Amino acid sequence: MAYNTCINQGYFTSDGTDKIIAVRSDVDWVKVVNLTNIAGATQWAGTEWYWQRGMADGDAVTNYHAAGTQAISTSTCAVGYNGVTYRGIYLMDSSTNPVGAIDATITAVSNATPPVATLTSTATLQPGEIVRMINVTGAQQLGGMDFTVGVGTFTGTTFSLDYMSTIVAGTVGSWRRIAYDPLYYPRKRFISAISAAASAVVKLTVTHGYTVGQKVRFRVPAAYGMVEMNNLVGTITAISTANNTVTVDINSTAFTAFAFPLTAAVPFSHAIMSPVGEASEAVTGKISLDDSVYNTGYIGFKLGTSATAAIALGSAGGSNGDAIKWLAGKSFNL
Amino acid sequence: MVLNEAAKRLGVSLRQTEDQLTRDMLAATASFINCTAGVNGDNPTEITRTDVDTVVRALLNNDAYTILDNIEGDDKFGTAPIRDAYFALASTQLSGNLDGVAGFVHKNQYPSPKDALRSEWGSIGNLRFLLSSVGSMTGSGSNLGANVYNIFCVGMEAFACIEQDGYSAQFIYRPPIYDGPLALNCSVGYKFAEVPRITNDLWVINLRATLA
Repeated sequence: MAYNTCINQGYFTSDGTDKIIAVRSDVDWVKVVNLTNIAGATQWAGTEWYWQRGMADGDAVTNYHAAGTQAISTSTCAVGYNGVTYRGIYLMDSSTNPVGAIDATITAVSNATPPVATLTSTATLQPGEIVRMINVTGAQQLGGMDFTVGVGTFTGTTFSLDYMSTIVAGTVGSWRRIAYDPLYYPRKRFISAISAAASAVVKLTVTHGYTVGQKVRFRVPAAYGMVEMNNLVGTITAISTANNTVTVDINSTAFTAFAFPLTAAVPFSHAIMSPVGEASEAVTGKISLDDSVYNTGYIGFKLGTSATAAIALGSAGGSNGDAIKWLAGKSFNL
Repeated sequence: MVLNEAAKRLGVSLRQTEDQLTRDMLAATASFINCTAGVNGDNPTEITRTDVDTVVRALLNNDAYTILDNIEGDDKFGTAPIRDAYFALASTQLSGNLDGVAGFVHKNQYPSPKDALRSEWGSIGNLRFLLSSVGSMTGSGSNLGANVYNIFCVGMEAFACIEQDGYSAQFIYRPPIYDGPLALNCSVGYKFAEVPRITNDLWVINLRATLA
C-alpha cells in the first residue's frame, strides 16, 4: 500500500540558475509555485507549473499574470506567451549519460583565449553546461573532448570554451550537450594546459570539482610535449575555481613545455588527470579515499530557468531571489 | 517455487547491477589510451594489433600481473597456444572488429576451448577479451562523433568491490501479512552496499576504440 505513493515536497530561494532537486523516489508528477510572483503583479510573471509523465521533458502547464494585475492566465512552457517559450520541468537520472541532439551549425571556433564558438543558436544550452565538440574543421584536436562552456562568453549565437588554451581558428563543426558528469566522483578530466613552475598549475577543460589534498596521476602523451609529467603522481595544494586549475606539488620548471596538439596531430591520445589512491589524516587517523569511490547518482527533476530575464520570469526555476515551493509524487496508474 | 525463481532472478539482477556500477566507476576514473593505429580516420581509430601491443606494453611496464595462465599448445588442427593474459572487458559491439585484428584467436581455436570463459570472445597477444552487451560505451565520444567503446584492460587485483561492514547483499522477503493491512501483496527484493574501486591505477588502462 505504501509503495509508489511517495510524496516529496520542499522549498528554495532561486539563485537564477537551474535548480536540480534529487528525490528518493522517481516522480510521476511535479507541481511548482513561485510565491514571489504570486504575491506580485508583474506582467508575464509565471506563478505555477505542473508537469506529469506523458508531457515533453522541459514542458509544463503554467499559470501567469497576463497583465500587471493578479489575474491568472494559462498556457504551457512549450507554447509560451508574450512571444517567448519558457523552461519548465525536466526529469533527471544521472546514472544514465545521454548526449544531447547533435547541432551541426557551428561556423567558426576562434583563436581567442579562450576560444569562442559561433553557431546558429544557443537556445538549448545554459552557461556552465558541458559540451562535446565534434569534427571541427581546422580544429580536429577538439573533437571528442568535453568542455565547460559559456561562463566567459555566452550570447544567443556564441559560447566560449572557457578553460581551453588558444588554438588555431577552426571553421564548421558540431557539438552535443552532455547532460551529466560521469557517475563516480572525483572524475578524470582532460588537461588543456600545464605550467612550467615549481608547483605545476594544471588547467582542465571541464569544471573539475577537486579539492586540496587529493592525489592525482597525470597521463601526458608525447603529442603534448611535456612527457616528463607522464605517469607522475601529485598532491593538490591549491585550486582555482575561476580558472578551473589545480596546483600540484610537482616541480615542472625543467620539463619540456606543454603544447596542446594541433589539428594535424589527430589521431592522438589525450592528456588527462585521474584521481588515485588514499591518504591517512595524521590527526584523526581517518583514511580518506582519493580515487573515484563516491557514487553521485541521483534521480529527481530540474526546474529550468535562464540568464535572460524575460525567460526566467516565466520559467519554473524562477528569477534570482524568488521564493519557490514544490511538490512531487508517484501515481498508482499512469 | 515462485519464490525460488524470484530469488534466482534477483540474484542475477544484483550481480549485473554490481557489474554496471563497477563499469561506471572504471569509466569515470581509469586512465585511457586512444587507439591510433587504425585507418578509419577518426580519433580514436578502430582497434589494431599495434594498439593492443601498446596497452600490453604499458601494463607490463607497470608490473601488472596477468590474470590467466597460458594455454599450452596441442596437436589439433586449427588451434594455437594462448599466452598468459590480462583481461580486456569490452562491449559486444566490438566482436566483429576483434575478428579482424592481426593475431586474433577465437576461443574455438584454443587448444582447450573448455578453458575459455563463457563471455570470452578470443585473444590477441596478451589480452583475452570478455564481451558484454552492457559493456562501457561513450556516446559520440570520438572526433567524428562516433560512439567510443571503452576496453578496460586489467591486471590481477587492479580493482575490487569492497563490501561495507555488516551490510553486503541482503535478500528480503515480506509475506503478505506483514506487507500491507489487507495482506494482498508480498514484497521480494535485495539491497547491497559496496564500493567498487581501483586498487592500483597503473594496472588498469582503458583502451578506447571506435568501430571500423
